[in-house]
Amino acid sequence: MSEKKHRVSRRQFLTYTLTGVGGFMAAGMLSPMVRMALDPALEATGDSEFVSVGLGEDELTDEPQIVNFQLEIEDAWYTSEQPRSAWIYKDGDEIIALSPICTHLGCTVNWDSNEDYPEQFFCPCHFGRFERDGTNVAGTPPTRPLDVYDVEVRDGMIYLGQINQRS
Amino acid sequence: MKWKVTDIDTYQQAKEYVDTAVIPLIPLQWGKSEKETITMGEFTEYITDRIENQFTGRVFLMPPFTYLKTESSEEKLRRLMEWDAHLFQQGFKYVFYVTSDVAWKSLDKKLPDELIWIPAISSETMNSDQLKKTVEQQTSQIMPLFTGKWQTEPNNRDE
Ligand code: FES
Repeated sequence: MSEKKHRVSRRQFLTYTLTGVGGFMAAGMLSPMVRMALDPALEATGDSEFVSVGLGEDELTDEPQIVNFQLEIEDAWYTSEQPRSAWIYKDGDEIIALSPICTHLGCTVNWDSNEDYPEQFFCPCHFGRFERDGTNVAGTPPTRPLDVYDVEVRDGMIYLGQINQRS
Repeated sequence: MKWKVTDIDTYQQAKEYVDTAVIPLIPLQWGKSEKETITMGEFTEYITDRIENQFTGRVFLMPPFTYLKTESSEEKLRRLMEWDAHLFQQGFKYVFYVTSDVAWKSLDKKLPDELIWIPAISSETMNSDQLKKTVEQQTSQIMPLFTGKWQTEPNNRDE
């Protein structure tokens, strides 16, 4: 996925910027104002840290299942735990983890919850629909697919990383 | 969506999709059973927050409607109906009043739209995981009331 290549981590970004404006002294001169202006933009691309969702790879099937986990969000001066969820399943050998947030206006979608639309993600708010792989169904309100998490397996356990938008 | 500056732009661009208002009804009282009263309010806020989180794209969570426990039923009702009429005129075709205060139950029939009463569960003895689970469970019981309501015509307000 191409979004990965475009990503610049916060550290890299700062390194680039700092070397650009002349090294260490500039660190102090990069005033808080500038950092405040930059921070939200950096935040939006997410942090690349992976968190465990408490699920083993062997517990996955090709049927999407919901997992809930906590993400530590650092917000200037304090850290808070924020709840996150993902629909996880196996597609052959690949593990797919989709965000349950409807790309229309943000309601939570459910898998296979509407009798009329089996094997699809269904949004109860304005009847948005998505295929198993997250592709939005044409003719329903959402205009892009569900976002996907980066997935990693460590010692057989599932870890999720940042969320990526697709178009 | 919430009564926040960050949400209002989204709302303005998507107005026609956001047709449901949620009003938490929260009592205030000093000198007698403060803890109970606070518990009611807290629980109502947890539940309404969760509802908003699940239905962000269609539900607008209003600031709480607060009142003294000693306020008369007629007065409370009159004020709440004013809120309701205002919201309805502004395009919120469905209005849910959510509370843990049992006093509202007897007023149910007089309300122009849907009252959701959930008995408060004290979070005092729960850790944050248990609290989260409880709120999630309770909310999942309530959510069908919303999806069900959306399949019916909005209540009329004219009389
Ligand atoms: S928020 Fe999902 S269809 Fe509108």
